[in-house]
Amino acid sequence: MRTYIIRRLLTLPVLVFGVTILIFALISMLTPYERAALYVTDIPKRQGAIDGVIAKYGLDDPIHEQYLRWLGKVVRGDLGWSKTDKSPVGEVIRRRLPATVELALFASLPMVGVGIWLGVQAAVNHNKFIDQILRVNSIIGWSIPIFVFALIVMMIFYAKLEWFPPGRLSDQAQRIVLSDEFSRYTQLNTVDSLLNGRGDILLDAIRHLVLPVLSLSYLNWALVLRVTRSSMLETLRQDYLTTARAKGITERNVVNKHALPNALISVATIGGLVLIGLLNGVVITETVFNYPGIGSFMAQAAITLDVISVLGIALYAGVILVLGNLVVDLLYAFLDPRIRLA
Amino acid sequence: MSTLKQLVRNPTSLTGLILVLLFIVMALGAPIIAPPAENARDPYMIPHDGFSVEPRPPSEEHPLGTTEGQYDILYGIVWGTRTAFRVGIVITLFTAVTGVIVGSIAAFYGGWVDDLLMRVTEIFMAFPFLLAAITLTAVLQTVYGRGEAGILVWGAKIIALVAFGRLPTKPLDPVSMRLMTAMMALMAFGWMTYARLIRGDILALKERDFVLAARTMGAGDFRILFRHILPNAIYPTLVVASMDIGSYVLSFAGLGFLGLGAQVGYADWGQMISFARNWIPRLAQHWHIVVFPGVTILLFVLAWNLIGDAFRDILDPRLRGARG
Repeated sequence: MRTYIIRRLLTLPVLVFGVTILIFALISMLTPYERAALYVTDIPKRQGAIDGVIAKYGLDDPIHEQYLRWLGKVVRGDLGWSKTDKSPVGEVIRRRLPATVELALFASLPMVGVGIWLGVQAAVNHNKFIDQILRVNSIIGWSIPIFVFALIVMMIFYAKLEWFPPGRLSDQAQRIVLSDEFSRYTQLNTVDSLLNGRGDILLDAIRHLVLPVLSLSYLNWALVLRVTRSSMLETLRQDYLTTARAKGITERNVVNKHALPNALISVATIGGLVLIGLLNGVVITETVFNYPGIGSFMAQAAITLDVISVLGIALYAGVILVLGNLVVDLLYAFLDPRIRLA
Repeated sequence: MSTLKQLVRNPTSLTGLILVLLFIVMALGAPIIAPPAENARDPYMIPHDGFSVEPRPPSEEHPLGTTEGQYDILYGIVWGTRTAFRVGIVITLFTAVTGVIVGSIAAFYGGWVDDLLMRVTEIFMAFPFLLAAITLTAVLQTVYGRGEAGILVWGAKIIALVAFGRLPTKPLDPVSMRLMTAMMALMAFGWMTYARLIRGDILALKERDFVLAARTMGAGDFRILFRHILPNAIYPTLVVASMDIGSYVLSFAGLGFLGLGAQVGYADWGQMISFARNWIPRLAQHWHIVVFPGVTILLFVLAWNLIGDAFRDILDPRLRGARG
């Protein structure tokens, strides 16, 4: 166990280093002029002034010197200047992160919970009607583009029924949240409204979260379902379950207490894939629902070719994914007694 | 051969096969189903009936209605089928070949070569796919926007040659530039699965008797790899490739939807749906601008997934006849 953890921890710096190299490789495809936004906020238009900036920040220096200088800035949290937002990229990320975190947190709950529950139902009823229905449904879930799903729920629940509006808060609630009487402890509107004892804000925040959460979780629960199902099927065939049944334990307890905990160990391995699904999903979901998080900002920056912002967010997402995968692997080692006790 | 027979017998994959066949008919018959105007320079540019902003519902003249800017939806869907096949197949081809080359080299030579290539693979996998593709598209569009020639431009030209059967004029025109950048971005972050898959399969075969026999008979590395190992290891890769066609079309549509894929007015499903972003409060009235292209993408991707799902069951018989 200890050697496994140590070995796994040692890959972390290698991967993070690789991520920065890849991002910098993309940066080096830009001209020195385009790279200048990494260092200065206001890129001068006059030719002489540009040369001055390029010379001052060594944008024509050998590539490894530029890399080290850039890395030094990145480590300090300085990702350059966003021309879309007219502010530093790091600050944009910090400002918009809570909205995305709130969305992703709420989306991962139904995704994992519903996915596991349905996966168990499918496995227990293997090859029966429920299994077939769920199977077809999860293939459709895999095949529908997230933006089509999102637009269709918008069409029904916003354009037609007017139940759930886009955005993150209504204007009125937004004013209250930004005012002095409302303390933003966590920046997560749902949590803060509870801490402030404001039921109306909580309701407003939830109203805005329902549809994006639904869209973001819909396409991912298919994945959780499928893995839970096949893992459960493997487990249900094990001898120790036959023993359990022979001892007279009810089928319900066999499934829930004896099979499920073991089946869930391998479900933990897809934690990384779920994280990828969330990171990819927020870009499109936030764009459709006009939700002010990092994802919608990235899409907006990409269209305007604000490459410095896009690269900054990609670096951020890459590091998050590397860390997330590490956590998943360690969790797996901890959950699986065959690894934990080895 | 028996695999094909099983695919036809299985109702799920049969549905998939029929759907794919229908899409092939639609792609081949595009000039008949939706004839382009006689003076049209590029049949892939959707003709528009006037310039009025407001989408129009289905009518006799436009059976599936028009989008914002009066682009005919039926025409876009029909010609978009060609774009979808082209994008899906070409990206899959390039990623599979790249992956197989990288994976084969890593597995065959082992040692530090293997270590190095697998670390590189892991680093590429450290980015969420769509995010990475968005990033690279933005960078490539900036690079191509400058119009300078370079290795990258030649790369784009080779892909264009495979995709369209002709070398684009120099410099890349804006329409194919936008297609190529999005496709290249998806390719750059799509090869890793293949590399890992083929590497594992080759490692399992490498020490088998027939390979050692070939070696004792004096066969060179190249011959052993291409004549003895790869033909035996390639099958799972082909299965994954067949499933990937749908998922690349899905990702490409995602880029198109965000405005990073095909040019406005180009026959591409994702690009067509992106118009809907401007009409969200009035989607109840303009449902057709989402539903028709949306269902088309769904059916196309679904078809490949149905085939892939049955494929997997056929290849992995462990679960067949399990308790239940």
